Parts: sequence; structure tokens; C-alpha cells
Amino acid sequence: MLPDRRNGARFAALSMLLAVGVAVGAEPREWLERMNHALTTRNYVGVFTHNRGGRVETLRIIHRVRGRDVSERLQSLDGPGREFIREGSELTCYFPDSRTVLVEQRAPDGPLLGALPALGEGNSTVYDIRGGEAERLLGRRTRVVALQPRDEYRYGYRLWIDEETSMPLKTQLCGASGEVIEQIVFSTIDLPARIPDSMFKPQVDAANYTWMRADRQLVNNAAPALWEAMKLPRGFRMATRNVQTLPGSSEPVEHMVFTDGVASVSVFVEPRKANSRPAEGPARVGSSSAFSTVVDGHQVTAVGEVPLTTVEFIANQVKSTSKSTTPGMSLAPPERRK
Amino acid sequence: MNEDRQNERDSQLSAMFDGELSAAECELLARRLTRDDALRGQWSRYALIGAAVRAERGVKLDDRVARRVQTAVTLEISYGDGGAADVPAVARAGAVHDKRARVSAYERWLRVSRPVLGAGIAAGVAVMSILWMRGPGMDGGSVDNSAIVADVTAPESTQVTLVPETTTVAANLAPAASAARTAAGSGDYSTPAPSTQTSMAPPAHLANYVVAHSEYSGPLSRRLALSGLVGGEVAADAAPDTQPIAVKPEAEKRVASDAP
Repeated sequence: MLPDRRNGARFAALSMLLAVGVAVGAEPREWLERMNHALTTRNYVGVFTHNRGGRVETLRIIHRVRGRDVSERLQSLDGPGREFIREGSELTCYFPDSRTVLVEQRAPDGPLLGALPALGEGNSTVYDIRGGEAERLLGRRTRVVALQPRDEYRYGYRLWIDEETSMPLKTQLCGASGEVIEQIVFSTIDLPARIPDSMFKPQVDAANYTWMRADRQLVNNAAPALWEAMKLPRGFRMATRNVQTLPGSSEPVEHMVFTDGVASVSVFVEPRKANSRPAEGPARVGSSSAFSTVVDGHQVTAVGEVPLTTVEFIANQVKSTSKSTTPGMSLAPPERRK
Repeated sequence: MNEDRQNERDSQLSAMFDGELSAAECELLARRLTRDDALRGQWSRYALIGAAVRAERGVKLDDRVARRVQTAVTLEISYGDGGAADVPAVARAGAVHDKRARVSAYERWLRVSRPVLGAGIAAGVAVMSILWMRGPGMDGGSVDNSAIVADVTAPESTQVTLVPETTTVAANLAPAASAARTAAGSGDYSTPAPSTQTSMAPPAHLANYVVAHSEYSGPLSRRLALSGLVGGEVAADAAPDTQPIAVKPEAEKRVASDAP
């Protein structure tokens, strides 16, 4: 017997409730996956404040996805007025304060933005992923998800993910004890269906700036690895490696990427320039930690959005795998920092 | 012949969305939208109603044209395929007057009909998300580049999408954090004053490394890394410990919705 129209309506209503229930009852990990998906597949235009170490910067982000083409513009609305504009395979960084422009070429077959790292079951060994509770933020219903690191080699995150759009309206980078190190909060965000090309034009006139351009990028994953990290912090693994040229450098640089599924660390190895002072020791570049050392006549630098301990540990574990003498390579024993 | 006309209309629509159509031609196209079902359907497929409604930067529609276009498209979605053609022109014109009521009805309709219509109204859902994100009564008006900045500088403006959060940074920050206190320590949100700290350009090789590294970061990490690089300074060889931001307990925050 066919259900009458009232039963049909009840069934439809129940179906809708169930559909809603799937979203409302989603696990924290699902919210993270949705957020990653939204960040990498949606168009958005937003203004946010970035708070770190007492400094507050207001930035605007414009993100556009057209098929496999991702365009993004990140613009500082105060301070030196730096801008990063990514279109297709080219990333152009404008530094008005140093009157410098860096142009980076990506490999055409390189990973899409956000393709790495991916959240996997293995993350639970190094992060405690919890939360998912509803909280009202900025007039919106959000889900709060926390990734609490289980050791000192990585930061944690607290995320306020918009229920409707899965966009992170607020992001906190946290230390091992839960203290907030950095914070990003959106003040406006739009999700337009279309973003015109005109919104990806730089505000600065960089005609007279110094342009540092890598006109070509070598990607040679098949080449034998000349360098490797002998030991890694728990949970980290090598995600990829390649050999590429970087802006302002004629020498190829070996680039290794290590990830724990959330945080990632890059190690760059390049021959030391003969007449330059080697870079050694720690540094901070924006939100990233960096540590440089010299190994076998090569400059080794580890960079990542991780604690300084992590980049120092990894940089000091990098060793040459080649026993033969490579042109330009020193025969001196590796220099190690204590 | 028909194909040529279709191509011409395609070009016009595309030019309008690219802001390359004159105001007079926009007006003409808007008039045509009110009586051309095919063109109206094409407009829907462009899924740019929200941009037109808000006269988003890059879409050079004046408010009058935007309203007329919006009316045409809203009627099309509200009444279904071909429905708008059956609505007298007077009724269409009348629908312009109470925009807020119309948007509200439109949203209600979308909420009810979305599961039924599915992907067929994907464009409408996109519009709803835009309208919903911006809140009722926030459509219309011309938005240019300065207006986007004004979203932050003038929170009382109706252009503000999100209700500003209050009180997240405690008062025990370094002196340079006065801007942060201005932004988050007071009851009202305002643009942080530019930091008085000297901003140093990062050493080129380190900047290169961070940029190259960001290609392999997750979207969230990349955002943080690049934001720090775009807006921050570098402290090479100094390696200061990360300076935590003291955050008041959640309970001390004023709930955003309670903000005046």
C-alpha cells in the first residue's frame, strides 16, 4: 500500500533531519577534513587579523579555484604592505620594504595547494584531536576542534569552523601547554562564485624593484638521494623530495619535506657559496622557525611551522648519503652544532 | 543567426561580469533579462547574483541596474522555470521595493526547496550562502577596494559580515601590543594601529625557503606561515622564544551575539 501524502511528507522531513544530523554529529576529524576541503576548493575573499607576539597585522586574502588552477592573493593592509600573489604555477612575493620581488615557479605537475599533508589515522599518535562542540562566534554557529600535540615537537591548533561553510573563522596556534602563540580571526569573509582577475593585481608598483626570479625549476625525483635525515621526531616521515632552483640562486637546491600529517618541515641543502659567510643557528621568519647549519660544505636549513626544537633536531640529523667526492663538496668532516 | 545572437549575449554577459560593459549596455542587458528566459537562465548559471546584488568590486553594475537584474533573477528562481515570464512586468517592478522582505522570503523558500531541487539550484544556494553570510539588509551598495578595507575600519558599517569578537588579548602584552589591546581589549572592534616596530625584510634566502616550503604545507599551516611572512618581521640569529598571547578564559569573553 502506498503511503499517503502526509506520510510522504513525514518521510521527507525525517530524511532532512537525518541529513542534518550527519553534519551536526560529525566527528572532530570530519570537521577538519571539511575545513581542509573548503580551504582548498572554495572561492573566498576575507579580511583577517593576525596576532603574534604582540604584533597585530590586518591582512586580506583572496582565494580562487578554477578547476585545477588556484589563484591566491595575500595582502598586508598595514605595515610594510607586502603582498603574495599566486597565479597558476607562479608565485610572486612583493616586499616593498626591501624593494624586492621574489618570483617562484612551481613544477607544473607539483601537488595542488593543500594536497599535503592529509589527515590520517596516524595523526592520533602525535595529536589528540578532540572537540566538535558548537560555539557561537562572530555571530555564527561554529564547531570548535582542537589538535593538542602529544610532545614538544609540534604546535597545537584550536579551530572555530563555520558550520555552514566549513571555513575556519578563527585559528589559534598553541604551544604544548595550550598557550596561544598566534591567532587569526576573520572580520569579513565572502564566498563569491566568481572572482575577477582584476583582484589579483598587486597594489604596489614594483617596476623599479629588484626582481629575483627562478625562471626554471628542476624537479628530479628520480635522482638518487644525496642527503637524508638520519632520525626524525616521532610521527614525522618524508613526504617528498626534489631538486629545484630557487629565486636568486643559480645552484640547484635539494628540498626534502617531512610531515607528521599536520605540521611540515622542509630541509634545503645547497652548496655553500665560496665568499659568503655561512648561515648558522636559529632564526624566525614570520611564523616559521628556521635552523641553519653547515654539513660537508653544504648549507643545510630546516624551515617549518613547528617549534625551534624541531627544526634544530631535523637540521642536525641531515647527512650526506654519498661517499664519493662530489664536485664542490668539502672533504672536511661534517660540522656539527653542539 | 540565432547562434550569432547567442554568442553576442554570451559576450555581453561575460563583459558585464568582468566590468567591461558600459552602464548603458548594462541597463540594456538588464532589460533584456526581464523578458528573455534563456538569458535569465544563463545568468543563473553564472551564479553571480550575490556579486551583482552587492555590486562586488570588479562588477561595475550601478545599484539601479543591480536591483533590476536581481529582481529578474529572483523572480525566476522563486517562480521556477518560465515562471517569471508569466509575471506581469508591473509585478516585477513592484517586487523591487521591499528588498529585505523579498530576500527573507527567498531564503525561506530556498531552505524548504533545497532538498527537492538539489543541484539544479546550486547557483541559488551559493547566493543564499552569500546573503546569509552577510546577513539580511546588507545587500546593495557599491563596494570598491576602499570599502573592503572599511569593513575593518568601520565596524558599524552594514558591510561588516561577522560580528566582531571582543576581548581576547590580555593586558600583559609587550608595549608593542597596544594595537592588539585596541583591537581586542576594548568593547568595540577597531583596526589595529600600524605597529611601531621596525619591520625588517627577511633575508632573501630564508624568505625563499619559507615560500618554497609553503607549497607543501597544509592550507592552515601555509596561511600562518605566509601571513607571518607577509606581515611580520624576521629575527635571524636571535631566535626569541615564541611569545605567547595571553588569552582570557572563554568565560570572560563577551558573547559575540551580545555585542551592541
